[in-house]
Amino acid sequence: MARRVAIVGTGQTKHRSQRDDVNMMEIVYEAATAALQDAELSIQDIDAVLLGNMEMFEGRALPEMWCGEGAGGVYKHCLKIATGGTSGTSVAISGFQHAASGLFNIVMAIGFEKQSDGHTAAGMALTDPFWDRHVAAGAIGNFALSISQYVAARGVTREQAAKVAVKARRNACNNPYAHLQLPHITVEEVLSSPIIAYPVHRLDMCPTSDGACAVIYAEETRAKKICSRPAWVRAAVTRHDYSYLGDLKDRLISIRTLRDAARVAYAKVGIHEPLKEFDVAEIYEPVSYAELAWYEALGFCKEGEAGRLIDNGITLMDGELPVNPSGGVLSTNPIGASGTIRVAEAALQIHGKGGKRQVSGVNMALVTGYGVYSWSDVMILSSSPG
Amino acid sequence: MSKEELLRIPIKMDLEYRYPTGKHFTHFFRVLKEEGKIMALKCPKCGYVFLPPRPACGECHVPLEEWVQVSDKGTVQAFTAIHFKFFDANLGRVRPVPFGSALIRLDGADSSLNHYLEENDVTKMHIGMRVQAVFRENRQGNIGDILYFRTIR
Repeated sequence: MARRVAIVGTGQTKHRSQRDDVNMMEIVYEAATAALQDAELSIQDIDAVLLGNMEMFEGRALPEMWCGEGAGGVYKHCLKIATGGTSGTSVAISGFQHAASGLFNIVMAIGFEKQSDGHTAAGMALTDPFWDRHVAAGAIGNFALSISQYVAARGVTREQAAKVAVKARRNACNNPYAHLQLPHITVEEVLSSPIIAYPVHRLDMCPTSDGACAVIYAEETRAKKICSRPAWVRAAVTRHDYSYLGDLKDRLISIRTLRDAARVAYAKVGIHEPLKEFDVAEIYEPVSYAELAWYEALGFCKEGEAGRLIDNGITLMDGELPVNPSGGVLSTNPIGASGTIRVAEAALQIHGKGGKRQVSGVNMALVTGYGVYSWSDVMILSSSPG
Repeated sequence: MSKEELLRIPIKMDLEYRYPTGKHFTHFFRVLKEEGKIMALKCPKCGYVFLPPRPACGECHVPLEEWVQVSDKGTVQAFTAIHFKFFDANLGRVRPVPFGSALIRLDGADSSLNHYLEENDVTKMHIGMRVQAVFRENRQGNIGDILYFRTIR
């Protein structure tokens, strides 16, 4: 039987397109020390350190070794997890599982990426050498294909997608850590930015960022001592899918990995009306259209009604369910950290430490991760251990 | 510490890779080269026809051994035109833009194939559009032997 576990501290760096002021070990150290400080713990209190990173993007092998001292992993149980875009949520879920297993009491999970060190496009291009590499055009190219299906099936408009992009960048202005801060961005500006892959405009897509984020988990007894309002992990579900894009039937419409992960997580916690029962959601939206697709898959609305949700402002900061008060992946995307940031931001909302991006009275928070062609993670955090 | 000017150390690398194709891809690429046929593997349990071919069915996790020929004609399931300059790891340089690409379900297959369209104007693309493979003259035994898919009018 798994033990009850809560997030008792979070820390992140100021995310930017290029953090030339720090190297990889220094950026990880920045996040790790911020999380320890937040939890009022020292590195001696930590039993295990887990790292999430996509090393191909920096072009540095064994990042878990080269940032060991910065992460605080020296003489500890320490390993690295890499699952594409889900790396950050995978490492966070693994952190929870380590503490829940009873083998470790306090665990730190750190996601990080320093994209400006290397060539993310080259890392993406080094996909399957026999088939995919021949035609692949990174995340933008494969999303554009799936978006053509989603738009045809659901009739969402480019204006509705642009509203998602605007919401993210405006929310980011309340988050001092967010990379893109565009307080005056408009739907017209998104639509007049160049088309990079039809129908995706440049401002529909996430940026590339440097950054790191750490979350600290503690088992029940310790969590209650460390934190006055712990963020209890109530569910953590991960689903992987086929290798090739052509085997994911109507990817954004069916998105069966996310639907199944959500179904299992909701059943575990007893969520029946997600729009009403969650107080905030931090979801992994690498492109504006994906957020609309996730609304349906996560049960925020009926099939085909995602456009209405954004039109009616339901997911804005003052709406019924604020989605991504942090600004989301559309504002900040250090890939190995992007999922960990979702977890940390949801925990922050429960801790009541959200500052200008705080949603009032958060008791139940939803987190998702998304990676490669269709891998999905879902976590539910709560102010109550259940 | 005093404020120092920050440095970047530039490094360039030339690397070569050799990827073994394994038995399933080897058969596919040999038949493509020698006979100009597109082959796929059928799951003995659920009947799904896989393209690219692979050792096992994802749903049933049973070995795939039954080769079936699929058509060189198919239906577009998803489409786009790429306008941004993406690094092509096969070419070792940026791929020329714009180019049309699509997920194409060849007649007889259940998977869709991610490949190029001859067309790069999205106003002339739609889901359900019929297309046919155009092969290169001197086939070499790789996926590039299909140059692109042209619209059937």
